[in-house]
Amino acid sequence: MTTRNEPRAGAPAGDAAPVQRPPAEVRYAEELAALRADDRDPRPPGWELSLRAARRFVIGDAETGISRKFVGNPSLVDRALVTLATSRGLMLVGEPGTAKSLLSELIAAAVSGDSTLTVQGGAATTEDQIKYGWNYALLVAEGPSARSLVPAPMLRGMAEGRLVRFEEITRCPLEVQDSLLSLLSERVVAIPELTGPDGMVFARQGFNVIATANTRDRGVNEMSAALKRRFNFETVFPIPDLDTELALVEAEVTTLLRRSGVEPPPDRDVLEVLVGTFRELRAGAGGKGGSGAGPDRPSAVMSTAEAVSVAHAVGVRGWFLRGEPGSAADVVACLAGTAAKDSPEDLARLRRYLEQQVPRRRGPHWKALHDARHLLAD
Amino acid sequence: MSAVFLGVRHHSPACARLVERTIARLRPVQVLVEGPAEMNGRLDELLLGHELPVAVFSHYRDEQRAATSWAPLCDYSPEWVALRAGRAAGAEVRFIDLPAWHPAFAERTNRYADAEARYEEATERLCRHFAVDSSDTLWDRLFEVEPDDGLAERLDAYFALVRGDAEADAGDRARESYMAAWVRAAVDTAGDRPVLVVTGGFHQPALRALTGPGEPGGPEGDDPDGWERGADGWPRVPAPPGAATAGSFLVPYSFRQLDAFAGYQSGMPSPGYYQRVWEAGPEAAADRLLRVVVERLRARKFPVSTADLIAARSLAQGLTALRGHPRPARIDVLDGLAGALITDDLDHPLPWTGRGTLTAGAHPVVVEMVAACGGDRTGRLHPGTPAPPLVHDVAAQLAGLALDGGPEATYRLDLTDTADLERSRVLHRLRVLGIPGQVRTAGPAHGVDPEFTERWESRSVVGREAALVEAGAYGATLAEAAAVALTGRTRDVAREADRLAGALFDAVLCGMDGFSDQLLGELGSCVRESSLPGPLGEVLATALGLWRHDRVFGMARGPLLGTVIDGATERLLWLLEGARGSSGVDFSRLRAVVAVRDAVLHAPELLSVTRETAAGIARRIADDSEAPVELRGAAFGLHRSLGQASGAAGDPAEAVRTVARAGTDALGDWLAGLFALARDEVTGAVGDDGDGAGGGAESLIDVLDGLVCALPDDAFLSGLPALRQAFTFFPPRERDRIAGRLLERRGVRGSSRSLLRTTADPLLIGRARALEESVSRLLARYELEATP
Repeated sequence: MTTRNEPRAGAPAGDAAPVQRPPAEVRYAEELAALRADDRDPRPPGWELSLRAARRFVIGDAETGISRKFVGNPSLVDRALVTLATSRGLMLVGEPGTAKSLLSELIAAAVSGDSTLTVQGGAATTEDQIKYGWNYALLVAEGPSARSLVPAPMLRGMAEGRLVRFEEITRCPLEVQDSLLSLLSERVVAIPELTGPDGMVFARQGFNVIATANTRDRGVNEMSAALKRRFNFETVFPIPDLDTELALVEAEVTTLLRRSGVEPPPDRDVLEVLVGTFRELRAGAGGKGGSGAGPDRPSAVMSTAEAVSVAHAVGVRGWFLRGEPGSAADVVACLAGTAAKDSPEDLARLRRYLEQQVPRRRGPHWKALHDARHLLAD
Repeated sequence: MSAVFLGVRHHSPACARLVERTIARLRPVQVLVEGPAEMNGRLDELLLGHELPVAVFSHYRDEQRAATSWAPLCDYSPEWVALRAGRAAGAEVRFIDLPAWHPAFAERTNRYADAEARYEEATERLCRHFAVDSSDTLWDRLFEVEPDDGLAERLDAYFALVRGDAEADAGDRARESYMAAWVRAAVDTAGDRPVLVVTGGFHQPALRALTGPGEPGGPEGDDPDGWERGADGWPRVPAPPGAATAGSFLVPYSFRQLDAFAGYQSGMPSPGYYQRVWEAGPEAAADRLLRVVVERLRARKFPVSTADLIAARSLAQGLTALRGHPRPARIDVLDGLAGALITDDLDHPLPWTGRGTLTAGAHPVVVEMVAACGGDRTGRLHPGTPAPPLVHDVAAQLAGLALDGGPEATYRLDLTDTADLERSRVLHRLRVLGIPGQVRTAGPAHGVDPEFTERWESRSVVGREAALVEAGAYGATLAEAAAVALTGRTRDVAREADRLAGALFDAVLCGMDGFSDQLLGELGSCVRESSLPGPLGEVLATALGLWRHDRVFGMARGPLLGTVIDGATERLLWLLEGARGSSGVDFSRLRAVVAVRDAVLHAPELLSVTRETAAGIARRIADDSEAPVELRGAAFGLHRSLGQASGAAGDPAEAVRTVARAGTDALGDWLAGLFALARDEVTGAVGDDGDGAGGGAESLIDVLDGLVCALPDDAFLSGLPALRQAFTFFPPRERDRIAGRLLERRGVRGSSRSLLRTTADPLLIGRARALEESVSRLLARYELEATP
């Protein structure tokens, strides 16, 4: 394990550059090993950890030194893990940037010790990339054989009894989505080109699917009822509590800024204004607790991840332009470019928010934010 | 012997069982219970044999404040069990807390709410430690699903921990010192026989400390905190200040009301579920919840297959095991059902993951689950219970106002007459409380209805008395009860602006001005959440009209309408700036802009928005190319009418030219918006006095005339309806002046009136012209024109 973990420590063996982002099972190899060593609870067949140990891995456990990796509701993690131990797949849905992929990676690392069996969904995804394809040179030379078969993540997950992650499943064409149907209900894939025992691949214990779908591109509504029925749905929400979100943004931004060569840490008050703005816009500013998709909600993604990236830009701007931490005025300037992207409606929403809602907030930084509203470019 | 203290959570079946067991084991002679001490003389009334839930309702009113609060009791309330089992075991039972009117209870409407706000930090830490979502889940996990042995010790440890670092406020300290005085008195009376004290767990560590052996206050002596003892040896119950009215009495209650306390006023959620836990245990409650939810969903034609049911049950069992619950907890079943039955993305987090209540637009499965947990049980008082004061108040008022004419009586009320207005208010208050018996058959239907007489008919109905007793839970007097009922109704209609207008008018009819801060607050927040500018504009216009001119209902310049006006203006400005294009003129939206203008001009002292801010918003809307055209015109007019003083208004002639470039339809719509707000832009310039409001600027009518004359025929014809619509905002006299001006421009002498009176509908003429055009084009295409 330690040898695999080395690249991250920044001491590359030989001339290999360090991996930018190793998978979760490598990043947290020590925690996983410790959990496995102490695991006394019953494990579902094919699982590397018991449900309780997997839960501790995801939501953290201060007493045994397991870090908290997912800050959402613990009950969501409970439901997700129990679902995976039953015969239904798990579908994580939610706004972009709500850490769905992170959650699925963490669960796969905990349950199967491997989060790399991943299908990335997209308009061009085909069945080959899900089940199996062929090595055409071998196929032509030898005919169909186990040797010329190129197994895709689903087939490997079934044969090895591991969790398979299917990212952005709703972005695949519907026919491709439906190719999962028999696989999920019969738990077997037939390979008609092969004969004998190779022609049927049965799922081993431990195989299941975690799919993610975001509600912005193409929601889950178009998904066929038959496929929906084979999944349990879990909606992942933005971080509900301001302090948690603020702490997360602060931690992430501090790291990013240091990496970008910015010396001063971000100003906490400015971050608070930024995160507060994001939260209000996300909720549809102007009406507390209004319906989920009100007209006041920007079409741009106001996720925590986006807040981190704006805060990063704010810090960079402040430091390299003026040699000081980013200010509320930088927040306005960066919001215009980053969060409101290129949608004039979003820009109008942002302006309206700055003009009408911000003056009601108290505090010097909110006032500075209001005063800087002219920085919104037209 | 010193007292035995049991710290409980209100409405907890586990704590109720603990109280029952402790009484059976201890056989105490005195059982002291947290509850309103002024009820002690009437405990027999409480134990008559009601169907629970019932509540002790308390009301208070003096010149400074008015308050109502409830102490709800259900079968599984530890306090109730203490009363019942204590009495059955032959002990003397007493309530020992301060009366509800005491300032210690200010801001509290539910005596048995959790003291949660004060120990939030501690529970949050515990939630993190046990990795659960909320303190309710934590409570279930630690106490409700665990076996009963060791429960008392665990409760002690839990409450010591949460009280440990929580700051008790002055109210808590006053209550605790008072309760401690009772405990000392009870210990004195009991001698060496056992005394049991059942209070909220938050108070228990403090009470134990206050009555400990080291504390001052010798036997028989006066209390160290100054609570005097009466002749019977018990602390006196404080009496309300002389001028105030206060009282407590029993009312029927319901699980729905119990579940409806929001935020920090709420206690344990899901009374229906815990009733079942109390009756049959957690397993049976879980089973039943699963069954009831599925039945409810199927009754609503929501498909729930057997496979779903199996999945829900296995998920729930898996969650119970994963979470280490020895028996299924409420949240395990709910999570299992949610996981198996919801196959959509949700707009809101599941309500049981936090302290949230159900939000509008929640998933149907979630709605049914919450309803099934809440239960629909309604309490009933024993027939021998004295009627709540509302019943007497209503009878007295009806008699005093000569409204007790019996069935078949008819009353004609002239609202401009003070006595009749008072009668009308009483009848309307009965109406909003849902008391059958009197029906209004005629009368004003809305705030600007010029009708000032009402006709009411009495009918004899069954159930009137029962309805009055039930309504007694809302207040001691008719006006108070009506205010509480209206507040509740306003909360229910939140975000439906048209029904909000109805609720507001009911408040006016009931004469609720300045009566209830809760009603004010609820109306204000309801207005602020409304999302349709049209209906909200109506509400604002009506409220403003009544606030400025009302002579009938006595609402002029009152705070009730003031709150609504401020909230609605602010909200409308927000909504209007966000409005996005739809074709055609939305007249209700234009009226909303007019209402905003009137509010800013005529009631600036009510508004938190300044005139400058409003003018700035108007200018942004006028300049916003994405905004609906007629709204831009209206905003332009609004900006001018607000900005006249500063002279910063834009030039209408220039603006008209810009808009005209976008097309004739757009021009018509834009003008409609402008004319709805600022007609004198046009008429002022053609006024009789000659100099014109436009001053040196080009007159708008001249510019328009020039633009329209320059239009190609087909553009003119297609834009005609919109243009005509715009000019309908002018009354005939002003239209006449405009026509005169047009004649003058052309140097034509003639009657401007005849220009306005055409022999046929101008639109018909327009259509005829269009037809002619197309015929001649067709002829031209096929070279069929008649040669001269």
